[in-house]
Amino acid sequence: MFKKSHPLQSRSEIILRNIVVAVMVVFFTVFLIIPIGIAFAGSFHEWNPLSGTYKFLGLKNYIEVFSSGLFWKSMRNTVLFSVVVIVFRVGLGLAIACAIFSSLVKYKSFFRAVFYMPVVTPMVAVAFVWKFMYNPQIGTVNQILGLDVNWLMNPKTALIAVMIMTIWKDFGYAVVMYMAGLFSLPSDAMEAARVDGANGWQTFRYITLPLLRPMTLFVVITSIISYIQAYIQILIMTEGGPGTDTYLASYIIYDEAFVKYNFGYASALSFVLFVVTAAFTMLSFRVSGSEE
Amino acid sequence: MTNKAGKIIVNIVLLLLGIVTVYPFVWMVFSSFKENQEIMALEQSLLPQHFITENYINMNSRFDFLHFFTNSLFVAVTITVLVVYTSTICGYVLSKYRFRGRNLLFGFVLSTMMIPWCVTIIPRYSLIQTFGWMDSYKALIIPVMFSGFGIFNMRQNISAVPDEILEAARIDGANEFYIFHRIIFPMARNGIASIAIFQFLWAWEDYLWPYLVINTQEKQLLSVGLKMFSGQYSTDYGALFAATAISILPVLLIYLFFQKQFIAGIAASAVKG
Repeated sequence: MFKKSHPLQSRSEIILRNIVVAVMVVFFTVFLIIPIGIAFAGSFHEWNPLSGTYKFLGLKNYIEVFSSGLFWKSMRNTVLFSVVVIVFRVGLGLAIACAIFSSLVKYKSFFRAVFYMPVVTPMVAVAFVWKFMYNPQIGTVNQILGLDVNWLMNPKTALIAVMIMTIWKDFGYAVVMYMAGLFSLPSDAMEAARVDGANGWQTFRYITLPLLRPMTLFVVITSIISYIQAYIQILIMTEGGPGTDTYLASYIIYDEAFVKYNFGYASALSFVLFVVTAAFTMLSFRVSGSEE
Repeated sequence: MTNKAGKIIVNIVLLLLGIVTVYPFVWMVFSSFKENQEIMALEQSLLPQHFITENYINMNSRFDFLHFFTNSLFVAVTITVLVVYTSTICGYVLSKYRFRGRNLLFGFVLSTMMIPWCVTIIPRYSLIQTFGWMDSYKALIIPVMFSGFGIFNMRQNISAVPDEILEAARIDGANEFYIFHRIIFPMARNGIASIAIFQFLWAWEDYLWPYLVINTQEKQLLSVGLKMFSGQYSTDYGALFAATAISILPVLLIYLFFQKQFIAGIAASAVKG
Protein backbone atom coordinates (compact mmCIF):
# COMPACT_ATOMS: atom_id res chain seq x y z
CA MET A 1 0.00 0.00 0.00
CA PHE A 2 2.74 2.51 0.89
CA LYS A 3 4.95 1.33 -1.92
CA LYS A 4 2.40 2.14 -4.61
CA SER A 5 1.76 5.70 -3.56
CA HIS A 6 5.41 6.46 -2.93
CA PRO A 7 7.69 4.34 -5.09
CA LEU A 8 10.99 5.85 -3.96
CA GLN A 9 10.51 4.91 -0.33
CA SER A 10 13.86 3.87 1.08
CA ARG A 11 14.97 2.03 4.17
CA SER A 12 16.14 5.20 5.87
CA GLU A 13 12.77 6.81 5.17
CA ILE A 14 10.93 3.95 6.86
CA ILE A 15 13.26 4.08 9.87
CA LEU A 16 12.94 7.86 10.26
CA ARG A 17 9.18 7.75 9.81
CA ASN A 18 8.70 4.96 12.32
CA ILE A 19 10.86 6.61 14.97
CA VAL A 20 9.19 10.00 14.58
CA VAL A 21 5.64 8.64 14.55
CA ALA A 22 6.30 6.33 17.50
CA VAL A 23 7.89 9.04 19.65
CA MET A 24 5.10 11.50 18.81
CA VAL A 25 2.39 9.00 19.68
CA VAL A 26 4.07 8.06 22.98
CA PHE A 27 4.68 11.69 23.94
CA PHE A 28 1.16 12.89 23.23
CA THR A 29 -0.33 9.84 24.91
CA VAL A 30 1.64 10.37 28.12
CA PHE A 31 1.45 14.14 28.35
CA LEU A 32 -1.90 14.84 26.74
CA ILE A 33 -4.31 11.93 26.32
CA ILE A 34 -3.68 10.29 29.69
CA PRO A 35 -3.85 13.67 31.52
CA ILE A 36 -7.14 14.48 29.78
CA GLY A 37 -8.45 11.11 30.91
CA ILE A 38 -7.26 11.69 34.49
CA ALA A 39 -8.84 15.16 34.53
CA PHE A 40 -12.11 13.84 33.13
CA ALA A 41 -12.29 11.08 35.75
CA GLY A 42 -11.22 13.56 38.44
CA SER A 43 -14.02 15.95 37.53
CA PHE A 44 -16.50 13.40 38.96
CA HIS A 45 -14.63 13.13 42.25
CA GLU A 46 -13.93 15.11 45.33
CA TRP A 47 -10.19 15.37 44.75
CA ASN A 48 -7.82 17.17 47.09
CA PRO A 49 -4.11 16.27 46.95
CA LEU A 50 -3.33 17.95 50.28
CA SER A 51 -5.76 15.87 52.34
CA GLY A 52 -5.40 12.88 49.98
CA THR A 53 -9.13 12.78 49.27
CA TYR A 54 -10.41 11.08 46.11
CA LYS A 55 -14.09 10.28 46.53
CA PHE A 56 -16.72 9.68 43.84
CA LEU A 57 -19.31 12.45 43.64
CA GLY A 58 -21.07 11.80 40.35
CA LEU A 59 -22.18 15.00 38.69
CA LYS A 60 -21.99 17.09 41.84
CA ASN A 61 -18.96 19.15 40.74
CA TYR A 62 -20.68 20.06 37.47
CA ILE A 63 -23.91 20.95 39.25
CA GLU A 64 -21.92 23.15 41.59
CA VAL A 65 -20.20 24.87 38.67
CA PHE A 66 -23.48 25.75 37.02
CA SER A 67 -25.13 26.91 40.23
CA SER A 68 -22.17 29.07 41.24
CA GLY A 69 -22.76 32.80 40.94
CA LEU A 70 -19.04 33.43 40.58
CA PHE A 71 -18.85 31.06 37.60
CA TRP A 72 -21.57 32.92 35.72
CA LYS A 73 -20.08 36.27 36.64
CA SER A 74 -16.67 35.16 35.40
CA MET A 75 -18.21 33.80 32.19
CA ARG A 76 -19.88 37.17 31.57
CA ASN A 77 -16.54 38.86 32.21
CA THR A 78 -14.75 36.42 29.91
CA VAL A 79 -17.23 36.93 27.07
CA LEU A 80 -17.13 40.72 27.47
CA PHE A 81 -13.35 40.69 27.70
CA SER A 82 -12.95 38.44 24.64
CA VAL A 83 -15.46 40.26 22.46
CA VAL A 84 -14.07 43.73 23.17
CA VAL A 85 -10.43 42.70 22.82
CA ILE A 86 -11.07 40.71 19.63
CA VAL A 87 -13.07 43.54 18.01
CA PHE A 88 -10.25 46.00 18.69
CA ARG A 89 -7.56 43.52 17.76
CA VAL A 90 -9.17 42.72 14.42
CA GLY A 91 -10.29 46.30 13.72
CA LEU A 92 -6.97 47.93 14.58
CA GLY A 93 -5.04 45.12 12.94
CA LEU A 94 -6.95 45.40 9.67
CA ALA A 95 -6.90 49.21 9.56
CA ILE A 96 -3.21 49.48 10.37
CA ALA A 97 -2.23 46.66 8.00
CA CYS A 98 -4.15 48.31 5.14
CA ALA A 99 -2.55 51.67 5.93
CA ILE A 100 0.96 50.23 5.99
CA PHE A 101 0.27 48.16 2.88
CA SER A 102 -1.03 51.17 0.91
CA SER A 103 1.23 53.28 -1.27
CA LEU A 104 0.90 56.08 1.30
CA VAL A 105 3.45 54.59 3.69
CA LYS A 106 7.11 54.19 2.87
CA TYR A 107 8.70 52.55 5.94
CA LYS A 108 6.56 49.42 5.92
CA SER A 109 8.83 47.00 7.74
CA PHE A 110 9.72 49.63 10.36
CA PHE A 111 6.09 50.11 11.36
CA ARG A 112 5.40 46.40 11.24
CA ALA A 113 8.34 45.68 13.56
CA VAL A 114 7.27 48.40 16.02
CA PHE A 115 3.65 47.24 16.28
CA TYR A 116 4.77 43.67 16.80
CA MET A 117 7.06 44.47 19.74
CA PRO A 118 4.52 44.02 22.56
CA VAL A 119 3.53 40.60 21.15
CA VAL A 120 7.00 39.19 21.82
CA THR A 121 7.35 40.43 25.38
CA PRO A 122 6.66 38.27 28.44
CA MET A 123 3.16 38.73 29.82
CA VAL A 124 4.15 38.61 33.49
CA ALA A 125 6.62 41.47 33.09
CA VAL A 126 4.40 43.53 30.80
CA ALA A 127 1.48 43.14 33.20
CA PHE A 128 3.70 44.62 35.93
CA VAL A 129 4.64 47.57 33.72
CA TRP A 130 0.95 48.33 33.11
CA LYS A 131 0.10 47.83 36.75
CA PHE A 132 2.60 50.58 37.52
CA MET A 133 1.32 52.75 34.69
CA TYR A 134 -2.21 52.56 36.13
CA ASN A 135 -0.97 53.20 39.68
CA PRO A 136 -2.58 56.46 40.88
CA GLN A 137 0.54 57.42 42.81
CA ILE A 138 3.38 56.72 40.39
CA GLY A 139 1.52 55.89 37.19
CA THR A 140 1.83 57.71 33.93
CA VAL A 141 -1.71 57.07 32.63
CA ASN A 142 -3.41 59.56 34.94
CA GLN A 143 -0.63 62.05 34.36
CA ILE A 144 -0.95 61.93 30.58
CA LEU A 145 -4.75 61.99 30.59
CA GLY A 146 -4.96 64.51 33.43
CA LEU A 147 -7.31 62.23 35.36
CA ASP A 148 -7.48 61.04 38.92
CA VAL A 149 -8.75 57.46 38.59
CA ASN A 150 -7.64 54.44 40.56
CA TRP A 151 -7.93 52.29 37.46
CA LEU A 152 -7.37 48.82 38.90
CA MET A 153 -9.25 49.38 42.18
CA ASN A 154 -12.39 50.88 40.72
CA PRO A 155 -15.05 48.29 39.76
CA LYS A 156 -16.08 50.41 36.78
CA THR A 157 -12.62 50.68 35.26
CA ALA A 158 -10.67 47.60 36.39
CA LEU A 159 -11.75 45.22 33.63
CA ILE A 160 -11.50 47.99 31.01
CA ALA A 161 -7.95 48.71 32.15
CA VAL A 162 -6.98 45.05 31.75
CA MET A 163 -8.65 44.97 28.32
CA ILE A 164 -6.70 48.03 27.16
CA MET A 165 -3.47 46.41 28.24
CA THR A 166 -4.36 43.20 26.41
CA ILE A 167 -5.32 45.08 23.24
CA TRP A 168 -2.00 46.94 23.40
CA LYS A 169 -0.13 43.66 23.76
CA ASP A 170 -1.95 41.75 21.04
CA PHE A 171 -3.07 44.00 18.16
CA GLY A 172 0.37 43.78 16.50
CA TYR A 173 -0.20 40.09 15.85
CA ALA A 174 -3.28 40.93 13.76
CA VAL A 175 -1.31 43.64 11.92
CA VAL A 176 1.35 41.12 10.85
CA MET A 177 -1.25 38.50 9.92
CA TYR A 178 -3.30 40.91 7.81
CA MET A 179 -0.18 42.23 6.12
CA ALA A 180 0.77 38.68 5.18
CA GLY A 181 -2.77 38.24 3.84
CA LEU A 182 -2.61 41.47 1.84
CA PHE A 183 0.74 40.59 0.27
CA SER A 184 -0.61 37.23 -0.86
CA LEU A 185 -3.74 38.67 -2.54
CA PRO A 186 -3.95 38.08 -6.28
CA SER A 187 -3.10 41.38 -7.99
CA ASP A 188 -5.25 40.55 -11.04
CA ALA A 189 -8.44 40.79 -8.96
CA MET A 190 -7.49 44.34 -7.90
CA GLU A 191 -6.52 45.19 -11.44
CA ALA A 192 -9.86 43.92 -12.81
CA ALA A 193 -11.75 45.98 -10.22
CA ARG A 194 -9.81 49.11 -11.16
CA VAL A 195 -10.46 48.51 -14.87
CA ASP A 196 -14.18 48.17 -14.11
CA GLY A 197 -14.05 51.59 -12.47
CA ALA A 198 -14.29 50.62 -8.81
CA ASN A 199 -13.06 53.27 -6.37
CA GLY A 200 -10.75 52.58 -3.45
CA TRP A 201 -13.53 51.91 -0.95
CA GLN A 202 -15.44 49.62 -3.33
CA THR A 203 -12.29 47.62 -4.07
CA PHE A 204 -11.69 47.27 -0.35
CA ARG A 205 -15.29 46.39 0.49
CA TYR A 206 -16.00 43.93 -2.32
CA ILE A 207 -12.56 42.50 -3.19
CA THR A 208 -10.04 42.89 -0.38
CA LEU A 209 -12.30 42.22 2.59
CA PRO A 210 -13.85 38.98 1.26
CA LEU A 211 -10.42 37.72 0.20
CA LEU A 212 -9.11 38.40 3.71
CA ARG A 213 -11.92 36.42 5.31
CA PRO A 214 -9.83 33.28 5.97
CA MET A 215 -7.26 35.46 7.75
CA THR A 216 -9.97 37.10 9.86
CA LEU A 217 -11.28 33.66 10.78
CA PHE A 218 -7.76 32.54 11.71
CA VAL A 219 -7.18 35.59 13.92
CA VAL A 220 -10.62 35.34 15.57
CA ILE A 221 -10.30 31.63 16.36
CA THR A 222 -6.78 31.85 17.76
CA SER A 223 -7.93 34.87 19.80
CA ILE A 224 -10.96 33.05 21.22
CA ILE A 225 -8.81 30.11 22.24
CA SER A 226 -6.23 32.30 23.93
CA TYR A 227 -8.61 34.76 25.67
CA ILE A 228 -10.74 32.03 27.21
CA GLN A 229 -7.48 30.85 28.79
CA ALA A 230 -6.19 34.28 29.83
CA TYR A 231 -5.35 34.67 33.51
CA ILE A 232 -1.80 36.02 33.90
CA GLN A 233 -2.82 39.67 33.46
CA ILE A 234 -5.51 39.15 36.11
CA LEU A 235 -3.15 37.38 38.50
CA ILE A 236 -0.59 40.18 38.28
CA MET A 237 -2.75 43.27 37.87
CA THR A 238 -5.92 42.75 39.94
CA GLU A 239 -6.01 39.24 41.48
CA GLY A 240 -9.64 39.17 40.40
CA GLY A 241 -10.47 42.35 42.29
CA PRO A 242 -11.88 44.71 43.25
CA GLY A 243 -14.06 42.09 44.95
CA THR A 244 -14.64 39.58 42.18
CA ASP A 245 -15.16 42.15 39.42
CA THR A 246 -12.30 41.04 37.19
CA TYR A 247 -12.61 37.29 37.67
CA LEU A 248 -12.13 35.58 34.32
CA ALA A 249 -13.08 31.91 33.90
CA SER A 250 -9.46 30.72 33.80
CA TYR A 251 -8.61 32.71 36.89
CA ILE A 252 -11.21 30.78 38.93
CA ILE A 253 -9.59 27.54 37.79
CA TYR A 254 -6.19 28.79 38.90
CA ASP A 255 -7.71 29.88 42.20
CA GLU A 256 -9.67 26.66 42.83
CA ALA A 257 -6.85 24.34 41.76
CA PHE A 258 -3.70 25.94 43.12
CA VAL A 259 -4.86 28.22 45.89
CA LYS A 260 -7.66 26.05 47.36
CA TYR A 261 -6.51 22.67 45.96
CA ASN A 262 -10.03 21.63 44.90
CA PHE A 263 -8.70 19.56 42.01
CA GLY A 264 -12.02 17.84 41.27
CA TYR A 265 -14.05 21.03 41.08
CA ALA A 266 -11.32 22.77 39.06
CA SER A 267 -11.25 19.84 36.61
CA ALA A 268 -15.01 20.08 36.12
CA LEU A 269 -14.62 23.81 35.48
CA SER A 270 -11.86 23.24 32.95
CA PHE A 271 -13.97 20.75 30.99
CA VAL A 272 -16.80 23.26 30.88
CA LEU A 273 -14.33 25.81 29.55
CA PHE A 274 -13.00 23.30 27.02
CA VAL A 275 -16.52 22.76 25.66
CA VAL A 276 -17.12 26.52 25.55
CA THR A 277 -13.87 27.01 23.58
CA ALA A 278 -14.84 24.31 21.09
CA ALA A 279 -18.36 25.74 20.74
CA PHE A 280 -17.13 29.28 20.07
CA THR A 281 -14.58 28.00 17.57
CA MET A 282 -17.28 26.11 15.70
CA LEU A 283 -19.56 29.13 15.86
CA SER A 284 -16.98 31.42 14.28
CA PHE A 285 -16.55 28.92 11.42
CA ARG A 286 -20.33 29.08 10.93
CA VAL A 287 -20.57 32.85 11.11
CA SER A 288 -17.81 33.31 8.58
CA GLY A 289 -19.70 30.96 6.27
CA SER A 290 -16.52 29.07 5.54
CA GLU A 291 -16.81 25.30 5.60
CA GLU A 292 -13.14 24.38 5.17
CA MET B 1 -8.05 65.39 -0.21
CA THR B 2 -4.88 65.36 -2.21
CA ASN B 3 -2.66 62.35 -2.17
CA LYS B 4 0.06 64.26 -0.39
CA ALA B 5 -2.18 65.35 2.49
CA GLY B 6 -3.43 61.77 2.84
CA LYS B 7 0.13 60.55 2.97
CA ILE B 8 1.03 62.94 5.79
CA ILE B 9 -2.10 62.16 7.83
CA VAL B 10 -1.72 58.38 7.55
CA ASN B 11 1.96 58.55 8.49
CA ILE B 12 1.29 60.82 11.47
CA VAL B 13 -1.47 58.52 12.75
CA LEU B 14 0.77 55.48 12.41
CA LEU B 15 3.60 57.30 14.13
CA LEU B 16 1.33 58.25 17.04
CA LEU B 17 0.15 54.65 17.38
CA GLY B 18 3.78 53.58 17.24
CA ILE B 19 4.61 55.94 20.10
CA VAL B 20 1.73 54.53 22.17
CA THR B 21 3.07 51.03 21.43
CA VAL B 22 6.63 51.80 22.48
CA TYR B 23 5.90 54.23 25.32
CA PRO B 24 5.42 51.65 28.13
CA PHE B 25 8.86 50.18 27.40
CA VAL B 26 10.53 53.58 27.29
CA TRP B 27 8.80 54.67 30.50
CA MET B 28 9.83 51.45 32.22
CA VAL B 29 13.49 51.76 31.20
CA PHE B 30 13.76 55.45 32.16
CA SER B 31 11.97 54.84 35.47
CA SER B 32 14.44 52.08 36.31
CA PHE B 33 17.19 54.73 36.44
CA LYS B 34 15.25 57.01 38.78
CA GLU B 35 15.34 57.34 42.55
CA ASN B 36 12.21 56.34 44.42
CA GLN B 37 11.46 59.93 45.48
CA GLU B 38 11.52 60.97 41.87
CA ILE B 39 9.26 58.09 40.79
CA MET B 40 6.71 59.09 43.44
CA ALA B 41 7.05 62.86 43.00
CA LEU B 42 3.99 64.86 42.02
CA GLU B 43 5.71 66.58 39.13
CA GLN B 44 7.14 63.94 36.85
CA SER B 45 9.22 63.91 33.73
CA LEU B 46 9.91 61.01 31.44
CA LEU B 47 13.69 61.40 31.60
CA PRO B 48 15.40 60.82 34.97
CA GLN B 49 16.34 64.15 36.57
CA HIS B 50 18.90 62.41 38.66
CA PHE B 51 20.31 59.43 36.81
CA ILE B 52 21.21 56.44 39.04
CA THR B 53 22.17 52.81 38.40
CA GLU B 54 21.71 51.64 42.01
CA ASN B 55 18.38 50.00 41.20
CA TYR B 56 20.21 47.45 39.09
CA ILE B 57 23.25 47.11 41.31
CA ASN B 58 21.35 46.72 44.59
CA MET B 59 18.78 44.37 43.13
CA ASN B 60 21.17 41.49 42.96
CA SER B 61 22.43 41.78 46.50
CA ARG B 62 18.91 41.77 47.93
CA PHE B 63 17.42 39.19 45.67
CA ASP B 64 19.34 36.70 43.58
CA PHE B 65 18.24 38.02 40.23
CA LEU B 66 21.28 36.88 38.31
CA HIS B 67 20.52 33.35 39.45
CA PHE B 68 16.88 33.52 38.32
CA PHE B 69 18.04 35.04 35.08
CA THR B 70 20.57 32.29 34.25
CA ASN B 71 18.07 29.59 35.31
CA SER B 72 15.44 31.02 32.98
CA LEU B 73 17.97 31.38 30.19
CA PHE B 74 19.10 27.77 30.56
CA VAL B 75 15.57 26.34 30.67
CA ALA B 76 14.23 28.54 27.87
CA VAL B 77 17.18 27.84 25.55
CA THR B 78 17.01 24.07 26.18
CA ILE B 79 13.26 23.94 25.53
CA THR B 80 13.63 26.09 22.43
CA VAL B 81 16.39 23.95 20.90
CA LEU B 82 14.46 20.74 21.60
CA VAL B 83 11.15 22.07 20.30
CA VAL B 84 12.74 23.47 17.13
CA TYR B 85 14.31 20.08 16.43
CA THR B 86 11.23 17.96 17.20
CA SER B 87 8.90 20.35 15.34
CA THR B 88 11.07 20.38 12.25
CA ILE B 89 11.49 16.62 12.09
CA CYS B 90 7.78 15.95 12.78
CA GLY B 91 6.84 18.66 10.29
CA TYR B 92 9.08 17.03 7.70
CA VAL B 93 7.60 13.57 8.20
CA LEU B 94 4.05 14.91 8.19
CA SER B 95 4.49 17.03 5.07
CA LYS B 96 6.79 14.98 2.84
CA TYR B 97 6.04 11.35 3.67
CA ARG B 98 2.90 9.55 2.64
CA PHE B 99 1.68 6.87 5.02
CA ARG B 100 -1.50 5.48 6.46
CA GLY B 101 -2.79 7.55 9.37
CA ARG B 102 -0.82 10.66 8.40
CA ASN B 103 -3.84 12.93 8.16
CA LEU B 104 -5.27 11.50 11.35
CA LEU B 105 -2.01 12.23 13.16
CA PHE B 106 -1.84 15.75 11.73
CA GLY B 107 -5.47 16.40 12.65
CA PHE B 108 -4.65 15.26 16.17
CA VAL B 109 -1.64 17.62 16.33
CA LEU B 110 -3.91 20.48 15.21
CA SER B 111 -6.51 19.66 17.84
CA THR B 112 -3.90 19.73 20.63
CA MET B 113 -3.67 23.49 20.07
CA MET B 114 -7.31 23.85 21.10
CA ILE B 115 -6.95 22.19 24.49
CA PRO B 116 -6.81 24.81 27.25
CA TRP B 117 -3.87 24.65 29.68
CA CYS B 118 -6.26 24.24 32.57
CA VAL B 119 -7.50 20.82 31.38
CA THR B 120 -4.09 19.16 31.52
CA ILE B 121 -2.20 21.10 34.19
CA ILE B 122 -3.70 19.33 37.23
CA PRO B 123 -3.10 15.76 35.98
CA ARG B 124 0.35 16.74 34.69
CA TYR B 125 1.15 18.00 38.15
CA SER B 126 0.10 14.64 39.65
CA LEU B 127 2.04 12.77 36.93
CA ILE B 128 5.21 14.74 37.73
CA GLN B 129 4.80 13.78 41.39
CA THR B 130 4.36 10.11 40.41
CA PHE B 131 7.48 10.23 38.19
CA GLY B 132 9.45 11.82 41.04
CA TRP B 133 10.40 14.82 38.89
CA MET B 134 9.32 17.48 41.37
CA ASP B 135 11.82 20.28 41.88
CA SER B 136 13.89 19.23 38.87
CA TYR B 137 14.23 20.79 35.43
CA LYS B 138 13.02 17.52 33.90
CA ALA B 139 9.54 18.61 34.99
CA LEU B 140 9.92 21.90 33.14
CA ILE B 141 11.49 20.54 29.96
CA ILE B 142 10.20 17.05 29.14
CA PRO B 143 6.41 17.72 29.16
CA VAL B 144 6.79 20.50 26.55
CA MET B 145 9.37 18.85 24.27
CA PHE B 146 6.84 18.45 21.46
CA SER B 147 4.62 21.34 20.50
CA GLY B 148 1.45 21.19 18.42
CA PHE B 149 1.98 24.79 17.38
CA GLY B 150 5.57 24.08 16.35
CA ILE B 151 4.75 20.93 14.38
CA PHE B 152 1.85 22.67 12.61
CA ASN B 153 4.01 25.64 11.64
CA MET B 154 6.95 23.58 10.46
CA ARG B 155 4.69 21.36 8.40
CA GLN B 156 3.29 24.44 6.65
CA ASN B 157 6.79 25.82 6.08
CA ILE B 158 8.30 22.56 4.83
CA SER B 159 5.41 21.94 2.43
CA ALA B 160 6.82 24.87 0.45
CA VAL B 161 10.12 23.04 -0.14
CA PRO B 162 9.85 21.56 -3.66
CA ASP B 163 9.74 17.75 -3.81
CA GLU B 164 12.13 17.81 -6.78
CA ILE B 165 15.01 18.91 -4.56
CA LEU B 166 14.44 15.97 -2.22
CA GLU B 167 14.07 13.52 -5.11
CA ALA B 168 17.29 14.78 -6.69
CA ALA B 169 19.12 14.30 -3.40
CA ARG B 170 17.68 10.79 -3.05
CA ILE B 171 18.78 9.87 -6.56
CA ASP B 172 22.27 11.09 -5.65
CA GLY B 173 22.20 8.54 -2.85
CA ALA B 174 21.52 10.80 0.12
CA ASN B 175 19.72 9.07 2.96
CA GLU B 176 16.80 10.65 4.81
CA PHE B 177 18.85 11.73 7.82
CA TYR B 178 21.23 13.60 5.54
CA ILE B 179 18.32 15.19 3.63
CA PHE B 180 16.65 16.29 6.84
CA HIS B 181 19.73 17.80 8.46
CA ARG B 182 21.42 19.27 5.42
CA ILE B 183 18.54 20.27 3.13
CA ILE B 184 15.31 20.68 5.09
CA PHE B 185 16.84 22.37 8.12
CA PRO B 186 18.55 25.22 6.26
CA MET B 187 15.60 25.69 3.89
CA ALA B 188 13.12 25.97 6.78
CA ARG B 189 15.03 28.73 8.59
CA ASN B 190 12.22 31.32 8.45
CA GLY B 191 9.82 28.90 10.06
CA ILE B 192 12.49 27.93 12.58
CA ALA B 193 13.12 31.59 13.47
CA SER B 194 9.42 32.15 14.10
CA ILE B 195 8.80 29.11 16.29
CA ALA B 196 12.11 29.61 18.09
CA ILE B 197 11.17 33.12 19.18
CA PHE B 198 7.66 32.12 20.22
CA GLN B 199 8.88 29.05 22.07
CA PHE B 200 11.62 31.03 23.81
CA LEU B 201 9.06 33.64 24.83
CA TRP B 202 6.60 31.04 26.15
CA ALA B 203 9.28 29.25 28.14
CA TRP B 204 10.63 32.57 29.39
CA GLU B 205 7.24 33.96 30.47
CA ASP B 206 5.75 30.75 31.83
CA TYR B 207 4.68 31.43 35.39
CA LEU B 208 2.32 28.81 36.75
CA TRP B 209 4.17 25.62 35.82
CA PRO B 210 7.58 26.54 37.32
CA TYR B 211 5.73 28.00 40.32
CA LEU B 212 4.08 24.61 40.87
CA VAL B 213 6.90 22.16 40.22
CA ILE B 214 10.01 24.03 41.44
CA ASN B 215 10.21 24.39 45.23
CA THR B 216 13.81 25.39 45.82
CA GLN B 217 14.38 29.10 45.46
CA GLU B 218 17.86 28.66 43.90
CA LYS B 219 16.30 26.71 41.04
CA GLN B 220 13.39 29.08 40.46
CA LEU B 221 12.82 30.97 37.20
CA LEU B 222 12.65 34.68 36.52
CA SER B 223 8.89 35.21 36.11
CA VAL B 224 8.18 33.51 39.43
CA GLY B 225 11.08 35.45 40.94
CA LEU B 226 9.63 38.71 39.66
CA LYS B 227 6.30 38.00 41.35
CA MET B 228 8.02 37.03 44.62
CA PHE B 229 10.18 40.13 44.43
CA SER B 230 7.16 42.38 43.90
CA GLY B 231 5.51 40.80 46.93
CA GLN B 232 8.52 41.51 49.15
CA TYR B 233 9.52 44.93 47.86
CA SER B 234 6.14 46.22 46.77
CA THR B 235 7.04 49.86 47.37
CA ASP B 236 10.60 49.87 46.07
CA TYR B 237 9.46 50.95 42.64
CA GLY B 238 12.91 51.69 41.27
CA ALA B 239 14.05 48.14 41.95
CA LEU B 240 10.81 46.73 40.54
CA PHE B 241 11.27 48.69 37.32
CA ALA B 242 14.82 47.41 37.01
CA ALA B 243 13.70 43.81 37.63
CA THR B 244 10.92 44.11 35.06
CA ALA B 245 13.26 45.65 32.50
CA ILE B 246 15.68 42.76 32.94
CA SER B 247 12.95 40.21 32.26
CA ILE B 248 11.67 42.00 29.14
CA LEU B 249 14.81 43.13 27.37
CA PRO B 250 16.39 39.76 26.38
CA VAL B 251 13.32 38.63 24.47
CA LEU B 252 12.91 42.02 22.85
CA LEU B 253 16.54 42.05 21.72
CA ILE B 254 16.31 38.56 20.22
CA TYR B 255 13.18 39.63 18.38
CA LEU B 256 14.70 42.83 17.00
CA PHE B 257 17.73 40.86 15.87
CA PHE B 258 15.80 38.15 14.00
CA GLN B 259 12.63 40.04 13.17
CA LYS B 260 12.92 39.71 9.37
CA GLN B 261 13.07 35.90 9.28
CA PHE B 262 10.63 35.75 12.15
CA ILE B 263 7.89 37.76 10.45
CA ALA B 264 8.42 35.92 7.17
CA GLY B 265 8.05 32.63 9.06
CA ILE B 266 4.78 33.35 10.89
CA ALA B 267 3.31 34.97 7.81
CA ALA B 268 4.12 31.92 5.66
CA SER B 269 2.39 29.49 7.98
CA ALA B 270 -0.76 31.60 8.26
CA VAL B 271 -1.18 32.25 4.55
CA LYS B 272 -0.90 28.61 3.62
CA GLY B 273 -2.91 27.49 6.65
